[in-house]
Amino acid sequence: MIREPNALDVLYLIAAARWTLALTALAFVGGGLSGLLVMLMRVVPARPINWLAIGWIQAIQGTPLLAQLFVFFFGFAIFGYRVSPWVAAGAAFSLYASAFLAEIWRGCVEAVPRTQWEASAALGLGFGQQLRYVIVPQAFRIAIPPTVGFLVQLVKNTSLASVIGFVELTREGQITTGATFRPFTVYGIVAILYFCICFPLSQLSRRLERKLNVAH
Amino acid sequence: MSLIKLEQVTKRFGALTVLDQVSLSVEPGDIVAVIGRSGSGKSTMLRCINGLEPIQAGRIVVGDTVVNDPATDLRKLRQQVGIVFQSYNLFPHLSVARNIMLAPTVVKKMPPVEARRLAEEVLARVGLGEKIDAYPDQLSGGQQQRVAIARSLAMHPKLMLFDEITSALDPELIGEVLKVLESLARQGMTMMLVTHEMGFARNVASRVVFMHQGKVWEEGPGRETLGRPRTPELESFLGSVLH
Repeated sequence: MIREPNALDVLYLIAAARWTLALTALAFVGGGLSGLLVMLMRVVPARPINWLAIGWIQAIQGTPLLAQLFVFFFGFAIFGYRVSPWVAAGAAFSLYASAFLAEIWRGCVEAVPRTQWEASAALGLGFGQQLRYVIVPQAFRIAIPPTVGFLVQLVKNTSLASVIGFVELTREGQITTGATFRPFTVYGIVAILYFCICFPLSQLSRRLERKLNVAH
Repeated sequence: MSLIKLEQVTKRFGALTVLDQVSLSVEPGDIVAVIGRSGSGKSTMLRCINGLEPIQAGRIVVGDTVVNDPATDLRKLRQQVGIVFQSYNLFPHLSVARNIMLAPTVVKKMPPVEARRLAEEVLARVGLGEKIDAYPDQLSGGQQQRVAIARSLAMHPKLMLFDEITSALDPELIGEVLKVLESLARQGMTMMLVTHEMGFARNVASRVVFMHQGKVWEEGPGRETLGRPRTPELESFLGSVLH
């Protein structure tokens, strides 16, 4: 039975946007923590560990996110584990984010001049101390814009989770379209809701950047 | 016993030999000025002494530490050998005080209150006591370089290396940095400086080492070596820098 889209539909879409936000947050925190580890493995002066990190980054960056989602969702089933869309999507997006964030942050660490490594080494600081007190604080400032840029991508990419039955904003849009048969209106609202999430993020990034550039 | 001893040290960057069997020793209290054209290996020699650059052959001994021994803990060595760079290399995200306090608190585990007192003390020695809470980008080049010297002094090194520390400075700022070096010299600090300041080499250095093509070409007491060069290479070098 086809009906007109109404205010309740919009409310449902907004409610579904919460799950978009929740999945993004989970992926960003999970991916951030593991990405930090992968980044450290990438910069530590030990070849075998570097290669491990590079292998991981290449594997994730070289395969489609959609395929990664399917691997997690259906892959576990093959071994007899049934995982919920939540677990599959959370894990897949975290690992996806870990590779990209590791690579973004490595670039930021490498953007800190080599002379800063030398000056801190010359004072007797060890590798971990150099990173913690000298390199990372400087890399942090450089990292804000590309990290937020990735976060915005992540928000939009969570729409892929709809294919494994994870009901977020896009999936809810599909469902509403099925009932109303007004794809233009419904997906227009969906797009506006995505914009309402992403635009403030970009603004926040600018403000943070300005603040960090002024204050020490 | 010599404080620094280089024995037949050879350093290569790929096919390029930068140090060619260099032997040299520095006694406690010596002030050694290393001069030479760019590319003669002077800065590289300094960087090898505190292990910032590995060497391919020979031996470098500082105090009783063999620098090129893979078993040597370079962090221990570097607590005894300070180095100041041409481009200051202060930490831009830290105040002057925190630049100086970082190594004492992190490496030597000194309590922050004590480290702050130490920062005040070393800053007074370079005449910048009032800049303790400034940030590096609020200071002139000469002031930044004096902070870099203070930061190095705070580790109480037995020996200080200075790598062309006045070369990036405007001419009117060079004097204030040289004055700090002179006062360190008077206090008996053992120093090795790569420098283009011939006046300083002549008047303050106890010894001048002239490097040419990766070798110690000529060395001797400052005034004598610079006044009566024995080799045509030093003579032509002095001719080119003094005019």
